[in-house]
Amino acid sequence: MKKINSFLFAVVAFCLTAPVFTSCSDDDKNENVTKIVNNIVSEYSYNDSIVAAQKAKSKKDVAVLLVAFGSTWNNAFLAFDKTKAAYEKAFPNADVYVCFSSDICINRASAGENKDDNGKIVKRDYYEPRYLLHAIGAAKYGKIYVQSLQVIPGEEFAAVVASVKKFMNNGFIASAHLDDAYLAKLADDEAIFLGMPLLNDPEKDVPEVAKQLNALYSSEAQQGVVAFMGHGNPDTYDTFKANVRYEQLEKALQKYNKNYFVGTVDMPDNYKQDVMARMQEQNINSGKVYLHALMSIAGDHAHNDMAGGALEDQDEEEYWDEEEPESEDNSWFEFFKYYKYEPEVPLAGKHPLGLLELEGVLNVWIEHTKKAEFLEDAYHSMYPEE
Amino acid sequence: MRKSPFCAARVLVAVTASISLATPVLAQDTLRTNRLEEVVITGTGTLHRLKDAPVQTEVISRRMLDSYGGKSLEEILSGLTASFAFSEGDMGSQMQLGGLGNSYILILIDGKRIHGDVGGENDLGLIDPQNIERIEIVKGAQSALYGSDAMAGVINIITKKHTEAGIYADNSTRIGSHNDLRQHNTVAIALGKFTSQTNFQLQRNDGWQNTAEEWAEGMVLTDSKNKTVNEFRNWQIAERLTFKPLSDLELYAEGSYYKKNILRPRNGSHPSCDVYTYDLRYNNASAAVGGKWFLSDEALGTQRNYITLDADWNKHAYYYDYTARTYEYVLLKGEEFGDLNGEWYSVANLPGQSKLQSDQQRAMAQLKGIFYLPAENILNAGAEYRYDYLNAPDRTETGTADDWTAALYVQDEFNQLGWLNVTAGLRLVDNRNFGFRLTPKVSAMLSAGDFRFRVGWSQGFKTPTVKELHYRYLHVMGSSTFFNIGNVNLNPQTSNYFSANLEYRGRKFAASVTGYVNKLDNMIALVNVPVGEIPPGITTAYLGDGSDNVQARMYKNMDDARTYGIDATLSYQVMKELTLTTAYSYLDTEAHLYDASKDRMNTVTIDGTAHHKWSAAATYSHTFCPRYKLGINLSTRGSSTRYYQNNGNGKAFQIWRINTTHDLGKSGKTLTYRLELGVDNIFNYVDRTMHPYHLGNNTSGTTVNATFTIKFNAGKRVKNHISSTKQHFNNEED
Repeated sequence: MKKINSFLFAVVAFCLTAPVFTSCSDDDKNENVTKIVNNIVSEYSYNDSIVAAQKAKSKKDVAVLLVAFGSTWNNAFLAFDKTKAAYEKAFPNADVYVCFSSDICINRASAGENKDDNGKIVKRDYYEPRYLLHAIGAAKYGKIYVQSLQVIPGEEFAAVVASVKKFMNNGFIASAHLDDAYLAKLADDEAIFLGMPLLNDPEKDVPEVAKQLNALYSSEAQQGVVAFMGHGNPDTYDTFKANVRYEQLEKALQKYNKNYFVGTVDMPDNYKQDVMARMQEQNINSGKVYLHALMSIAGDHAHNDMAGGALEDQDEEEYWDEEEPESEDNSWFEFFKYYKYEPEVPLAGKHPLGLLELEGVLNVWIEHTKKAEFLEDAYHSMYPEE
Repeated sequence: MRKSPFCAARVLVAVTASISLATPVLAQDTLRTNRLEEVVITGTGTLHRLKDAPVQTEVISRRMLDSYGGKSLEEILSGLTASFAFSEGDMGSQMQLGGLGNSYILILIDGKRIHGDVGGENDLGLIDPQNIERIEIVKGAQSALYGSDAMAGVINIITKKHTEAGIYADNSTRIGSHNDLRQHNTVAIALGKFTSQTNFQLQRNDGWQNTAEEWAEGMVLTDSKNKTVNEFRNWQIAERLTFKPLSDLELYAEGSYYKKNILRPRNGSHPSCDVYTYDLRYNNASAAVGGKWFLSDEALGTQRNYITLDADWNKHAYYYDYTARTYEYVLLKGEEFGDLNGEWYSVANLPGQSKLQSDQQRAMAQLKGIFYLPAENILNAGAEYRYDYLNAPDRTETGTADDWTAALYVQDEFNQLGWLNVTAGLRLVDNRNFGFRLTPKVSAMLSAGDFRFRVGWSQGFKTPTVKELHYRYLHVMGSSTFFNIGNVNLNPQTSNYFSANLEYRGRKFAASVTGYVNKLDNMIALVNVPVGEIPPGITTAYLGDGSDNVQARMYKNMDDARTYGIDATLSYQVMKELTLTTAYSYLDTEAHLYDASKDRMNTVTIDGTAHHKWSAAATYSHTFCPRYKLGINLSTRGSSTRYYQNNGNGKAFQIWRINTTHDLGKSGKTLTYRLELGVDNIFNYVDRTMHPYHLGNNTSGTTVNATFTIKFNAGKRVKNHISSTKQHFNNEED
């Protein structure tokens, strides 16, 4: 009986004890917070030292930050190299920095080696916009241009705007605040500028980009359809209603030639099947379809979503969803091929080109930077009572 | 006051240790040398001759393990059965049984479930192959005892235990190609009522690369540094103490610590596919106490009824060890962050720093009893309580998540007719989120001479795991990046498993054929979702952290899946010294996936499944003199094409392997020695399909290995295992 009692007691005690588990301790949490704070502060100083060294070397007082989403592809890195070089030429008095908003792209680009245009292995470092802005502030550049390398003024551009505003409001960890007087002077001198995305202004930018694209592709448009593939914001996130730029661009291009079409990967009602429907409305039911990327660089989307099946020279067959030709998993190339068109992806070397690689289009971005407007009302003193 | 699950678990273990009784040490003393005397426990929780097991059970015996000389559980399961398929991933082993993956396979060590997964993959490195006594496999959710979530089946690994009086020690060192090292040590001491057993293991392999080709950046790169299998090293130490204060009472306490590092290539040059900025590390720890109490009066000679109580705590923590500066998007929470409080921010982790990704902890208690009732009934009843706790600061919304599940089960084996055994079980599960669910299991066995005919039906019920509900993370695999998202709206998965088996087991010849259908509903899988479906709170993280080709995937209930299969095994003892065995497995799968964006049902093959798998072996052994015994095991295994929805199918393969054993020194002496020499993949088969397309098999080609084992045995009684275990066996059964 004694054994049974102790046994039952064991069961009861266990059932009472078992659920007594609490969450992560406060100590752990504090330790973690301290570690994160330290890592952020040390990263500020790491970026500060790089920029300070550059400024000391160049002795320039103007900084240009180009902010892109980023890539891990070497052909994209080459495009960024050329963009940086073009900016250095256009802004001979400025230090030019390329920033990525994607963490993974920064991490991998800086840890890997890449080949430059001459096949030489180079190491590339791209910067995180907020850390680089801190470094530029710490180096006290007298004039700063922040240029968005986005195509449309959508959500990614909004993040760029937020970063610059945060910078002007000294939005950093307290122990790493910038000299507030310096920020006040930037504001007083009207020396902080924000350059808009490529298709920002429907009245000026859209016709200008159409003109540049037509200059490059008018001969293709005479032989068949020229279809551009943009990214587009998926419906829920079309925060700035920026998707409309693709439709505006198509209209502008069609003033040159009815064979121009502009579709997207992610914008509702403007996928590849919608592009084909618009082609068919014009009785274009066969013939050549030249595919081009309407993205700043030609990375994964351009190669897989647009050109998938056109580039492969290996045994593996390109994936094809038979049940639904318009499936997002089927590339534009395979899609148009399926519908008896003759799709073609014009290549420069082994890759399609991104917009930054088209000189006329890159100049539109450079002009945006040159004409960038002063970012008004961004600065608010940390010490309003003074 | 610092309160953590760890502390609570220690208190819990201490409290229970002081008052608890009993363990299922049912299996350790069942070393068989005769195939007919093979006993199994997994299907019913009671000991049966394999031949008479009411639930169809596949056994990998000590003898098979000894002659095969497998270096890992993966190698053993894939080489000695035809039921499993493996593909080694970054995170662990992607294992399939009957077409279903890790999360449907319950792996038990001595009846206790192993703990922890990363990306749904278990780390089988936790299991030291040198410490395995035998392995039992029961397919489908057929056992009421272990949880209805074992929809694919149960693998019960029964470990070696040295409980006889005296001192025992062994050392086994295995070296092989790719700088492979497997070190195993045991020290066991038995003094009066106490025993202590300490095990240590160390495993290391430099990994290998089958191809330098990789499809990335829209072209074939020819200098990829991605390996087929990454370099890893792990070690484990485990201690088990037992105390037998009374003749009818056994108590035990055990604990273990395990560490594994997976080292990824550092010399990659392509940021798109072979550059890594962190390595992976796992830390596991466990503690358990329990006991076994025999209820019957020993004087009656029927010491059979018993009750066991087990309580255990397990921890599986997963870390990134940074090897280069790595930005990660983190939601800053705390006043210390000043203006940045509440913002998603890129935080750099520096080389040498580590960061916890997830810490899964589990506390379990199990109470069970086995009662031999009148009219040839064996009643098996028990209760189980399980608490799961997840600490993942950056991978869950609030940093932590938890869950509990309680279960009651009862099973009766009815054997009065002699020629008919009916085993019926019920398991009642109560889950915090999903309430009560009753799952029945029934099996029946007809006996006629050496023939057995078995049929079984069982229902399975699997609630979504804490990770499936709450976890989210960026999963980078070479050139592909996925954002995997938990889903709090998931429903439990259910299954119905039907099987029929015909078996003949004679003295020299044994054959078995089993057909089964497993129907799963509400199967949970990671499916691609458009960006618009990502919950608003984490969109920022996704957008900020992503590469240029991130695919968002969310855990969702698929509609249904079916697997059909036939398993057959043959064994023939040609002569006393030569045995031939073969196994074949046919599998067909069909899953229906509802595609919400297109409002249609897709029919797909379950990834990684092959229609045909087979294995065969010839085992020869001969004692030339009392001081030398030779063993030769020649075996082959193969698979037809493995099917995948994306990235190509895996090629069919067949691989041959030879292992020789050389036992030196008289058995029963204080010191005995064994040398093993083996060649795996004799004909140098290598699948050189480029990354990231699927391989049928990730073997590196021909590898060689050598093992040297010394056993020291002082003061232990030399027992006749066969007679002693037979006696025990008879006590249990007849």
